[in-house]
Amino acid sequence: MTSVASKPQSSANGTAEEERRGLLGRTLRAQGAQIVLVLAVIVVIFAVLAPSKFLTPFNIRTTIQDTSILAVLGVGMTFVIVTGGIDLSVGSVLVFSGVIADKVMAAMGDQGWGVSIVGIIVGCLCGLGWGLLNGVLVAKAKVPPLIVTLGTLGMALGFSQIITGGVDLRDVPDVLANSVFSEIGGQLPTLTLIALVVVVIGAIILHRTRFGLYTYAVGSNAEAGRRTGVRVQRQLIKVYALAGLTAGLAGVLNLAFFDSTTIGGQSETNLNVIAGVVIGGTSLFGGAGTIFGTVIGLFIPSVLQNGFVILGVQSFWQQVVVGAVLIAAVYLDQYRRSAALHGSSVQFPFLSRFGSGSRKVTPR
Amino acid sequence: MKRKGAIIAGLMALALGASACSSGSSASGGNGPIKLAFVPGVIGDAFYVTMQCGIQDEAKKLGVSVTTSGPQKFDPTLQTPVLQSVIAAQPSAILIAPTDTSAMQNPVQQATRNNIKVVLVDTTLKDPSIAVSAISSNNSGGGAAAFAAIKQLVPGGGKVMTVSVTPGVSTTDARDSGFSNAVKTDSKFTDLGVQFDNDSAQTAAQIVTSELQAHPDIVGIFAANLFSAEGAATGVRQAGDQGKVKIVGFDAEPDQVTQLKSGVVQALVAQQPALIGKDGVDQAVASLKGQSTTKSIGTGFTVLTQANLNTPAGQAAIYKTAC
Repeated sequence: MTSVASKPQSSANGTAEEERRGLLGRTLRAQGAQIVLVLAVIVVIFAVLAPSKFLTPFNIRTTIQDTSILAVLGVGMTFVIVTGGIDLSVGSVLVFSGVIADKVMAAMGDQGWGVSIVGIIVGCLCGLGWGLLNGVLVAKAKVPPLIVTLGTLGMALGFSQIITGGVDLRDVPDVLANSVFSEIGGQLPTLTLIALVVVVIGAIILHRTRFGLYTYAVGSNAEAGRRTGVRVQRQLIKVYALAGLTAGLAGVLNLAFFDSTTIGGQSETNLNVIAGVVIGGTSLFGGAGTIFGTVIGLFIPSVLQNGFVILGVQSFWQQVVVGAVLIAAVYLDQYRRSAALHGSSVQFPFLSRFGSGSRKVTPR
Repeated sequence: MKRKGAIIAGLMALALGASACSSGSSASGGNGPIKLAFVPGVIGDAFYVTMQCGIQDEAKKLGVSVTTSGPQKFDPTLQTPVLQSVIAAQPSAILIAPTDTSAMQNPVQQATRNNIKVVLVDTTLKDPSIAVSAISSNNSGGGAAAFAAIKQLVPGGGKVMTVSVTPGVSTTDARDSGFSNAVKTDSKFTDLGVQFDNDSAQTAAQIVTSELQAHPDIVGIFAANLFSAEGAATGVRQAGDQGKVKIVGFDAEPDQVTQLKSGVVQALVAQQPALIGKDGVDQAVASLKGQSTTKSIGTGFTVLTQANLNTPAGQAAIYKTAC
């Protein structure tokens, strides 16, 4: 309890320091800022090594486009992980929603916008349905989220294969496929615009609404939340439903973008999204995380793969580097948590190791 | 703390500066040395590695450079970002094995829109007209070759069946129908049709044991890939019919050659991936030099048996895992 006595002093130090460091300091303190730095360093390295190829409008556009569907999934996943949960089923739910949307659109047999809109709604509802199932099983039946979503991962994929016989469907109306693949004004891909809208809405809900506040409350301390009037079970169901909804939307986008249900190609989507969310600074223990961090965290694997291909480096290396970044991100999170517990505000533990005594040694 | 801030500010300034100056110099010349890029359907697969070897050998001979990058699974969602990165690297021509006829159409068209020539190798697209040339095995001919191999092993005739992977794959569908069409031309043989095992040896074994229950007089099985052949052989062994039922596999990856050596399968129909690659390079370079090209090229097959496996021609037909 000695740390309590010294706490007022250290926090006073903190604010004084903050004033001195000004805007830059405060920006860097924000969660996700460190990961922006990592992304910036990666971009700089590739830009220096392949100056005429890496930062071309085409390459920037397609890299962002390739990350867009993951970003939609990442929004829902961030909410789930902020509650301290996990959703392994997103890739399968994405496939299932795409399959059902495709079947419905094929049955209606028209190529127009009417059919496309029905398909979009059906896809989103399918995702919402799986999300609700996940949420009810986690919140009411008290089955651990890892197991619930591992189960629905298999079920959603299994049903998709039963319905299709394992063969990818391609019955997307031309208007939908062409508009999702096209670019607005020749530069901004429609897919990216849709993802951007989802990301902004997600960020507003998480950071600016009561719903978002309750999501953090459930993740930080569910019991405390319950005692202050948060309906924890209902909140959890809503959060998993939201993750399902984003997976459903992603399913329709994926179907329209690839003109195929890509049944075989989504087996690692869940892990890629979780990695992006965690790299982006969302704590697997719940209670902390930002949508902005998630988006940046998802870009790191995309940019690495893109850069390695351009440089002609074996793209197997991408997995190695992403793995290392992932571990570093979780290490940072752990360090930040233990530092917060002891009243310090060290934000760059890996730098402070080499700094002049700014590392806080915690007596135990 | 102050110093740390300065370091970070410096890094950020460096990032902005570097990105600003390099984006300014993004225009590239058109008439440099010829650079080819090869995008296989999946990396590390012996079929595509052999094709890559053929491509590299031919590129070396013609004095052009070639790089290879591919997805880690045979899937359009993974191949698209790789292809887009390859396009960003601005090669003169791309040799690609599209992982999906419709899903890869738009991404490949991005290459032609960026003035990069495209040659399709092995697999094809919904609309292959955007490519300079499309080169692949004559798959229905491959099915016919498999039947010819069975006929050679069992000249007396009888019932035959096919164990294939999944329905809806253009190449394997063509092989299966090529096989059954060839069976129809010979009245001594009866075709029991195609069964699918979803790439599971266990399912293939179940299929084969139940077919052998229903038709104990099966003499030949055409197994479309490695696991189909493995499962078919297990099924035949479970039924106690080894030696009586001949199994012909497709492709000649090292594992399949091991199957041939150990007598699990009696013949293999090998494609010629190295030749597909060589033809691909020839077509790409010809089109870049403004010479005439061939829109569609079909390559042949080599039938491997224990008898010809150790001949130079037999050894050359085995797929490679490294160049």
